[in-house]
Amino acid sequence: MSTVSLFDPAGPRAKRRHLLLEILTALIVIAGAYLVFRVLYDKGELSAAAWAPFAESGLWALLGQGLWNNIAAAAVGMVLSMITGCLLAFGLVSTHAPLRRTCRVYTDVFSSIPLLLLLYFTSLVLPNYGLKLGDFWFLVIALTLYSGAVIGDLLRSGILALPPGQAEASLALGFSHVGTLRLVLLPQALRSMSPALVSQLIILFKGTALAFVLGGYMELLRSATVIGQYYTRSLLQAQFVAALGFLVVNIALGALAVALERRQNRLAAQEPLPVTAAEPAPVPAHR
Amino acid sequence: MSFLLNHLGDFGQGVMVTLGLVLLGAAGSVLLGTLLAALRTSPIRTARAVSSAYVLIFRNVPLPVQMVLFVFGLPVLGIQYSLYTSAAIVLVLYTAPFVAETLRAGLNTVDRGELEAGRALGFGPMASLKLIVLPQAFATVTRPLGNVFITMVKNTSVAALVGVSELTFLSDKIAVDEAQPFIIFGGAALCYLVIGLVIGRLVSAVDQKVAFSR
Repeated sequence: MSTVSLFDPAGPRAKRRHLLLEILTALIVIAGAYLVFRVLYDKGELSAAAWAPFAESGLWALLGQGLWNNIAAAAVGMVLSMITGCLLAFGLVSTHAPLRRTCRVYTDVFSSIPLLLLLYFTSLVLPNYGLKLGDFWFLVIALTLYSGAVIGDLLRSGILALPPGQAEASLALGFSHVGTLRLVLLPQALRSMSPALVSQLIILFKGTALAFVLGGYMELLRSATVIGQYYTRSLLQAQFVAALGFLVVNIALGALAVALERRQNRLAAQEPLPVTAAEPAPVPAHR
Repeated sequence: MSFLLNHLGDFGQGVMVTLGLVLLGAAGSVLLGTLLAALRTSPIRTARAVSSAYVLIFRNVPLPVQMVLFVFGLPVLGIQYSLYTSAAIVLVLYTAPFVAETLRAGLNTVDRGELEAGRALGFGPMASLKLIVLPQAFATVTRPLGNVFITMVKNTSVAALVGVSELTFLSDKIAVDEAQPFIIFGGAALCYLVIGLVIGRLVSAVDQKVAFSR
């Protein structure tokens, strides 16, 4: 992404100053890196002994399984929350006021409750009602409750941002209200919101790490902790590798979101008519 | 209903801890986020690289992972703070990149012509930053920044992962003790809703204050 330059092109004096500052910052960075290295080295965290367990393939299998569990939960949660999100979006743009208000309350409530609270809720309450599900499903249900609400709202703004002519033309051609939504408006909203949806997937993926509290579900963070319990020497290393795993997957997903957004902008530039946005699309943010 | 009265104190304490985390997190992440945004827009290449690297790493490692790494991992290196302090620090570390990105997006909305006009009128770099760029950037940034903070309110719950007795942690504890999960989790959800709404209102008020027509 580009940043506007807040400064004029540097003249000779400013160039000298910048060079000086450049060297100074580089020195600070090097000093900081050295400090970190020194602490790690003194505590023996870089020694071969601390990294020795990582020579075993079983340990990598455990970590891989952990990451896979995170990905699986995020993927299943995403599919389910896409379904609930689409249904909610139908409700949110419905002309039936009570239905619309109910959906509005649902999205507002569930998008402002912490995921962890929902996770505690599903894992405590559902077993009381005879739903003997695994931790995987508690996590997926919590993710779906939260993310379905967010996606519903996203798709609603996607639908409302479409030119009104789309719905009018569809109705004039004899599509029913539901048919208009399902066949004309929703596909376009899904496409225009695809970068934001990928961002939501990133949020879901990050949220799967909360399953750490369930204890029994071997997601990546839990796997790293278990490794740290077996090899007490390698706790930090295991956690570092786990963090790296999350980092890599998230960066890949983030790159996908950016690529989708570029494509979106390119397509928008080719559109013959300017799209009149009824409401500015929310800034895709992954957190 | 007696159990409600018994735990009202606990609930209040949980809300206070959560609010404390929200305030500390907001203050800290604004400071660090501004620093990151300043580094990111500076003409010094190394500073820009440092800022981008920080944003890339701390935004993409999930908050629970950072929390656990900080609280259970770093003591190995002899770095140890109280649970509450650790949770606040991690919250700041995690939220700052989002603040920085929001601020940067705000700076990007300021037209280049504004700067050129300021320059032509004889404003120095600092004066144009202070009088032309920042007021406009701040006005466009209030709402997105408010959203970042509302998300942060929800993120304070992650502190429960390491045992900080904030709202989510206490509701789970009480729910386990009392077997009345619906009322307790409902109450906690209500508290989060109210905090979110209050912040939303504050943001709207600030937004109206700084709004200007382009």
